[in-house]
Amino acid sequence: MNRRSLILGSLLLALAIPMAASQFLELPFDQVAREAQFIVRGNIVQTWSAWDDQHEVIYTYATVRVQRYFGEATGPDTLVVREVGGTVEGYTQEAIGFPMVRNGEDVVLFLSRWDDGADFRIHAFNQGKYLVRQRGGKEVVVSDPVTQGAERLDAGHGFDVRSNAISAITPALGIDELSDMIDNARAGRTEADRQIERQ
Amino acid sequence: MKKQTILALTVATILVAVCADSAMAYTLLSPRRTWASTPINVPVYNQGNSSITDGDGGVTAVVGAIRAWGVVNSSSTSQAAVRGTAPATITLNSNGHICNGSCLAATLTGYYSGNTIYDADVYTNTKYKFYSSREADGCSGEYDIDGIMVHEVGHVIGLGHSTVAGATMYPSVSACNAGNRTLEADDIAGKNDLY
Repeated sequence: MNRRSLILGSLLLALAIPMAASQFLELPFDQVAREAQFIVRGNIVQTWSAWDDQHEVIYTYATVRVQRYFGEATGPDTLVVREVGGTVEGYTQEAIGFPMVRNGEDVVLFLSRWDDGADFRIHAFNQGKYLVRQRGGKEVVVSDPVTQGAERLDAGHGFDVRSNAISAITPALGIDELSDMIDNARAGRTEADRQIERQ
Repeated sequence: MKKQTILALTVATILVAVCADSAMAYTLLSPRRTWASTPINVPVYNQGNSSITDGDGGVTAVVGAIRAWGVVNSSSTSQAAVRGTAPATITLNSNGHICNGSCLAATLTGYYSGNTIYDADVYTNTKYKFYSSREADGCSGEYDIDGIMVHEVGHVIGLGHSTVAGATMYPSVSACNAGNRTLEADDIAGKNDLY
């Protein structure tokens, strides 16, 4: 097993706990990467929440300023991502275990379109969201430790994305390694193909 | 192997076990929140899931299964879920436009700042096939609706996930695994913490 596989395995293992809230099936990374319409590295510069037209679901909208598109697909400089859950006029709706979008986050997002709209949602729930951090002078991605309904360090006062529960030993993957994995997945190259190429 | 080595290994094993045990436990939703009173009424919408071949699409099975929590009262209802309004309602034949893709089932909860749960509704992804405890033909690649809904109702009453393998509130589930129907000590401890 090579180093990349070990890191990815550790990252997916770390991701497994928050990912499986409500109840989700774990998808292979390659499937998530292939199915996503866009995969972006960006910064969430604005969030707001609102009821849907039927006043049944509160959605949180996030404006993502895109700094990089992964894979062959590219798009606009900003995207709007919509996720279930949020607070409007003191009433909070949460889809337990679904991903959260928080103002100020540096993220890599795997995105697909909602069936009923032009905006995007995070594909495969928490399997489609990574936080970007600096480690050893380079950018790495880590799984988001906080999902809807889960413990926040400063519950009741918003979530401080700069001081969340990510330590120096949290499994992380270099962002360029992630990019290679995305390219391979979207090109349909299997791990066996990649090993042959590396020999 | 020297006696000292054996002793050291034994101590290390005990320490690891103790640390692991203390780290593995139920969690509560954050912020901690509960329903105002018990029993909590959690009806099941009477339009069952078409993949469940037990006569009513799993409705009766789920009504019975979720009573395992002890603080939940259930019955079938002809009233579809109204989000943002009690009672908490389980829907077996709709994903509620929120639970698609790799989502098997989802719980959508609502609360004001007072930490009292105001509403919670459960939806099911009809893309997948399920079976119930009242089905006679067994299981083949299907998901156990009884256990899945016992887990979801754990969220309805205010529980998060447990890291105790085998607990109903453990986050992962596999096909043909009916273990979540039965509450484990950790699940009961979580419920007793809340109510």
